[in-house]
Amino acid sequence: MDTTMIINSILAVIGTLILAFAVSIWLPGIERKFIHARIQQRVGPPVSSPGFMAPIKFFFKQVLTPNSPMPRLYNALPLISLIIIVFILLVIMPQMYSFAALASIIAVIGLLKVEEIMYMFMGSLSKSVMSVGMPFPDLVKGAKHVNETRSFIEELSTLRAFRLIAFGSFPLYIALFVPVVMAKSIFLTDIFAFQQIHGPVLFTVAGAIGAIVYFIGFMIMLNEYPFAIMKTKADVIEGPLLEYMSKYRAYVYITRGFLIFVLASLFTTMFLGIPPNIFSWNILVTIAVAIIFPIAMAVMSAFSPIFTFRQFYPVVAATSILGVLAIVASVL
Amino acid sequence: MDNNNKVTSKVIETEVPLGTVHSAAIEPYRVRLFVEDEIVRDAELTVGVNHRGIERIMEGLPVEKANSLTEKICGICSNSHLWNSCLTAEKGLEIDVPPRAEYIRIIMEELERLHSHFLYLAHGSEVLGHETFAMRLFYIRETVMELLRMIGGNRVQYGVSVIGGIRPRCDLNEMKIQKISEGMNYIEEKIGEFADRFVRDPMVMSRISGIAAITKEDARRLATTGPSLRATGIEVDLRRDMKEYEPFEFDVITQDTGDVKANLLMRVLEIPEAVKIIRQAIKDLPDGKITNRSWEMQDTGIIRSYIEVPRGKLYHSYSLEDGRVRNSIVRTPSITNINTMEFACIGTHITDAQLAIVQCDPCFTCTDRAVKILDEPFRNITKI
Repeated sequence: MDTTMIINSILAVIGTLILAFAVSIWLPGIERKFIHARIQQRVGPPVSSPGFMAPIKFFFKQVLTPNSPMPRLYNALPLISLIIIVFILLVIMPQMYSFAALASIIAVIGLLKVEEIMYMFMGSLSKSVMSVGMPFPDLVKGAKHVNETRSFIEELSTLRAFRLIAFGSFPLYIALFVPVVMAKSIFLTDIFAFQQIHGPVLFTVAGAIGAIVYFIGFMIMLNEYPFAIMKTKADVIEGPLLEYMSKYRAYVYITRGFLIFVLASLFTTMFLGIPPNIFSWNILVTIAVAIIFPIAMAVMSAFSPIFTFRQFYPVVAATSILGVLAIVASVL
Repeated sequence: MDNNNKVTSKVIETEVPLGTVHSAAIEPYRVRLFVEDEIVRDAELTVGVNHRGIERIMEGLPVEKANSLTEKICGICSNSHLWNSCLTAEKGLEIDVPPRAEYIRIIMEELERLHSHFLYLAHGSEVLGHETFAMRLFYIRETVMELLRMIGGNRVQYGVSVIGGIRPRCDLNEMKIQKISEGMNYIEEKIGEFADRFVRDPMVMSRISGIAAITKEDARRLATTGPSLRATGIEVDLRRDMKEYEPFEFDVITQDTGDVKANLLMRVLEIPEAVKIIRQAIKDLPDGKITNRSWEMQDTGIIRSYIEVPRGKLYHSYSLEDGRVRNSIVRTPSITNINTMEFACIGTHITDAQLAIVQCDPCFTCTDRAVKILDEPFRNITKI
């Protein structure tokens, strides 16, 4: 590898990251302003507000110590999540395909799992004032159960995050294996090469089914309605994210926008054979998918109630079965 | 669990306290949910955060002032409180209300029922997580709010009823009647569209079917009132027994299952009935006086009055002494329904617990008025 190539690669990686960041800060705004608000016949926030202006505002807010047993670690978790997501984007860039072991679907899934686990840590480390019981024995109405062990509502989110890791994110991971089975390789470079020769996986029956499954997995991964069980406002309010404030909340916002872009990029890489690369016109396809996905997600969530586990289990099971069918179809 | 809604087992995994401030609860009340694996095994619901002591303030006030104070009890059923309070005085002083005033009172009451039911459906949808339904229902409700403003002059405190009739500014002319008629057409069309969309949505139906069901027996035992009682299949509507409603034809809506679905459908189906009553009232609106001023104040014993308001049975009572109110008691439907709300939570998923409470259409700020001290030294306090 000569020096020019190395410099070009470095520039491509940095440029793609900057582009990804620039696009991702607008995605939550597009989702909320143009879709959610339009469907609900209201004005909605300015398009720059949720992804761009809100984090800026939060960066200048006063930092208080959250109500947590390990406040520093708790505050660090959104930043760690962001780093993990950035790392996923790095892994799927074509310039990184020479790092064979990292540029594989197993590494991507592993990193996504780590990102999911972060919510468990967040939930366990958050002890919000919302759940603190009365400081004296509760004798109003004779109090049915005096001095019962009280649970912080974020602890419920932790359990739900665990369940999501255990089964909730199945559809996304199953869908990722459709191109793997078709290319007969777990390495992104082989999947990319396979699609250069045989055309995009998306345009096969298995790929089309896999794309639907991936999209549902995408919504679950982003904890978006109707799959927002981890932060449903009917009970746990915001769950693991409840205690974040100032710049740490800004990281949460940025992380979500970035995750939308990264999952869209992962989709274009796996199903269209278009990895994110700023030096290729195909980056426009990645950007288009990054915009279409949250728009479709906003349409779905605007017309659905929130699921409890009673609805969640069957939906995930059905989607997973669909994913397995896609894998079977990809073998045939 | 025994018949008194008490958990007999001592083993409770954990308690999840929701409130007094909570994003799904629009009013300050405290729910203690005792859960095992996210299933609610027992619940305790307490009020007391927004205690205002309105009955105490009413004590000794001239009856007209006391009546207008009752309107401040609730921002949703303000007309109901004022009407019932005036009815109490009219009953005690044997005042005949002119028929035109009776009809306008009925129009106001049914408009209030409409806006309360729309508010219920919108809030229910929001707790369900369906924000789009909630938003659209609020838009439909806006028509009713504008009609209420047109008649009463305000969107919340209308001040329509006075002892012996209604205020002159609240009389209806042709233009107002025309607008009410147009509003009713719009409401009927929109609620039809909403109902169609609502019952055909499998995701919504899966969230509300069979959740927090109350049986007839439980409803009777827990003294459930209003649409929540009728949702269990018991056909009780106080409007049937009120002489003010005698000229009007309407059906008493009932459902069978007593669950969240039945409660939501109750309100959806009661809306056309309210529209039907309003249409009859504007069509047959009698001419003549709107206030009877030929009555004399006198002392009375305790006078009691019940009316059917959007959430159930509303009770007002007071006695009159030198034209002033004594021994005032107000009982809103929500205090009657608190036991039902607690009971409905049991056995539900924790996410549905708030929905189980909302299905009884709680209005705790109105309920939170008086405190009765049961024993020294202030250990056991019960709301009445």
